[in-house]
Amino acid sequence: MSLYAQNGATRDNWPHYGGQTSAWRYSALDQVNAANVSKLTTAWVFQSGEIDGGMQVTPIVVDGVMYVTTSKNNVFALDAATGRELWSYHYTLPKGFTVFYGPWNRGVAVADGRVFMGTLDNNLLALDAKNGRELWRVQNEDVNQCGCNITAAPLVVKGKVITGVTGGDSAHRGYINAFDARTGRNLWKFWTIPGPGEKGHETWSGDSWKHGGGSAWMTGSYDAELGLTYWSVGNPAADFWGGNRKGDNLYTDSVIALDIDTGKLKWYFQQVPHDVWDFDTAYENVLIDLPLNGRTRKLLLNVNKGGFTFVVDRTNGEFIAGWPLVKNLNWISGVNAKGELQGRNEPVVGKNKIICPSIGGGRSWNQGAWSPKTSMFYTTGIEWCEDVVAVPETPKEGQVYFGGTFKLTRKPMQGEAGGHLGAYDPISGKRAWLYEYKYPLLASVLATAGDVIFTGDAEGFFFALDAKTGNKLWSFQTGSGHRGGPITYAVNGRQYVATPSGWGSALAGLLPQIWPEAERFRAGAALFVFALPEGK
Amino acid sequence: MRYALLFVMALPAFPQGSVARGDKLFAQGCAVGYCHGSGGTAARAQRLRGRTFDREYLIKVIRDGLPNTAMPAWGDRLTDPDIAALADYIQSLANASADVAAPVVVDAATPAAPDLGSATPPEHQRGRELFFDATREARCAACHRLNGIGAAVGPDLLKTGAIKISDGPRVIKYGRPRAVRTVVLKDGDKFPGVAVERNGTRYYDLSALPPVLRSLTQVDIQVVQRQTTWRHLTATRSYTVEDMQAVWNYVCWVAAKR
Repeated sequence: MSLYAQNGATRDNWPHYGGQTSAWRYSALDQVNAANVSKLTTAWVFQSGEIDGGMQVTPIVVDGVMYVTTSKNNVFALDAATGRELWSYHYTLPKGFTVFYGPWNRGVAVADGRVFMGTLDNNLLALDAKNGRELWRVQNEDVNQCGCNITAAPLVVKGKVITGVTGGDSAHRGYINAFDARTGRNLWKFWTIPGPGEKGHETWSGDSWKHGGGSAWMTGSYDAELGLTYWSVGNPAADFWGGNRKGDNLYTDSVIALDIDTGKLKWYFQQVPHDVWDFDTAYENVLIDLPLNGRTRKLLLNVNKGGFTFVVDRTNGEFIAGWPLVKNLNWISGVNAKGELQGRNEPVVGKNKIICPSIGGGRSWNQGAWSPKTSMFYTTGIEWCEDVVAVPETPKEGQVYFGGTFKLTRKPMQGEAGGHLGAYDPISGKRAWLYEYKYPLLASVLATAGDVIFTGDAEGFFFALDAKTGNKLWSFQTGSGHRGGPITYAVNGRQYVATPSGWGSALAGLLPQIWPEAERFRAGAALFVFALPEGK
Repeated sequence: MRYALLFVMALPAFPQGSVARGDKLFAQGCAVGYCHGSGGTAARAQRLRGRTFDREYLIKVIRDGLPNTAMPAWGDRLTDPDIAALADYIQSLANASADVAAPVVVDAATPAAPDLGSATPPEHQRGRELFFDATREARCAACHRLNGIGAAVGPDLLKTGAIKISDGPRVIKYGRPRAVRTVVLKDGDKFPGVAVERNGTRYYDLSALPPVLRSLTQVDIQVVQRQTTWRHLTATRSYTVEDMQAVWNYVCWVAAKR
């Protein structure tokens, strides 16, 4: 089957944040499969010891070694078969440091014997993969000046470590930086908001470009054949009020394709011109090749925070398809044939309005998974709404710049508030099945050639669904909710399935506004690793 | 503890004006985004609604923040009466129901909290902007730390009092910092570097901005040479002579203020 030729599947290793640089979160391993997944047993457990902020990591596995990060930027290298610690690195934050957003970290990147991590005080650093010794570190920008930091795993390809920063809700101007993996020297920088004289600058009124947000706060993708790296740029600031940033506000809420060698913009597709909902285009860019009207197209699928999925041609940014992921969606009525938003329903200054989904998103940043075997995209979705008021605000560099207030509503406009995980046709959005859950599902999804879909829930259950039917095949209680990324890998011919367990995050904190009992969901930060019993 | 909580709850009613002021400030600075939530209903940060807190504790936390957490210190951004108003407002939430009907509608005319730069007099605003200018990679703050912002790679500028104000641009432009050496590595790499410690092997690599802190070992290093082609001009090219004078005036003003 030609789809496998894309090589987006992982095998023994889990080398990148999204599996491979195509962000499929799909493994070709099938030792564990729909027929035997119910026999999974624990192989080992890793306790990180750092429970503040939970455990949001997606581990990396290279040649039998697993690299895991915890909140507050500690890194552990573990024997992936036994869990034995090989080394650890403990990051020291400046004394009295104020953490922006939260203390979590979502993982490292590994290449050429080096481990790369972004930090809460906005450094990018490189460690020796053999022993955890620090090799270099470079500060993107002073955290006290920008109100930004790095929580996402960097992308490392072609000798370059590429990272964006958070800060889309601060008075800040976003960027994506590429550093030399060997020396840490900056190779290129792409401003997500064009400066004076640059194309796109005219989409910002007055001085608003200086504080317009546009943070690329999740990990990018890469197509080696095209030499392009794909990043998602988040919301413009202020989030809910756009009165002083008139225009489309490029390249916020856009998928951008950058030349890997120069950082120059090849194309962009803006999903939400002049966003006033905080509906970032910030999540994973899934690179898939599919036959459409008789020819194979190189596509890019991206779910945004507004709960809308966009599919574009990744060679030129041409709009292909768009479909809603959730039923509670009233900020637009849909998109037209060009992918342009229709029927905008915007927050109003000084007046309450119900907007769906809520600021927490029709989906959160936890990634979906693409299975070339079933040709389905598996993703979570959240049904919830908010009561929001826009407020004019004056930006102060590096300070929170929201332009409004919100409160989640107990009941959404349709049905009950809650989460789900569905199997979707990537082009039509037609759903094959839907697994519904009482609370939002906030862990990433893993798909395998064994036709198993793995993810975890808020109450601590890690579970497996049948990729074809959505039927639950197995579950295991890990003791704390799930907010990280499950992976699978193999050592010496034995397949392992690993999942972080540890409740925490900004969104987890919002849940009690709808579900008061969520305030008591137990914290934790451990990694559970499963395998089939040996000798079978 | 239960006894103490009852005592706190028995406090007399709070001054209404102060609570109203605190409500507005809270909506602007504390409820926003993923922090305490509208009406203190909880988000990423602690729920404040329906809980009782000691007033002195509230004032201390608002003023000084909670180190190593996301709670910032507001002491340099809010006045004492405003901090007291916030404490009054949060205490007024003690008996509030867990639910909030709707977010607080903030009057747009509410005066915003001053930012850190507003203490700078108008004649030094330009110099301050240039010093910290985030839009240029080669900005002073890339290597010099001032008022707690910037990288402490180069010398502390507040210790340069002996330099006359009129010398600024000349020093900025033609200065040949003695601390910069040429670090030659065995792998063939070579860079202008500033040692982090005396007799150490950690160097700031100045060959690209922002500077890179490189943790080398004796094994990595071929030789460290005194001579270097690096000039301060390399890092300050984006500033005009007028810019440099404005920056220098600002630095001298900060130094004098100390």
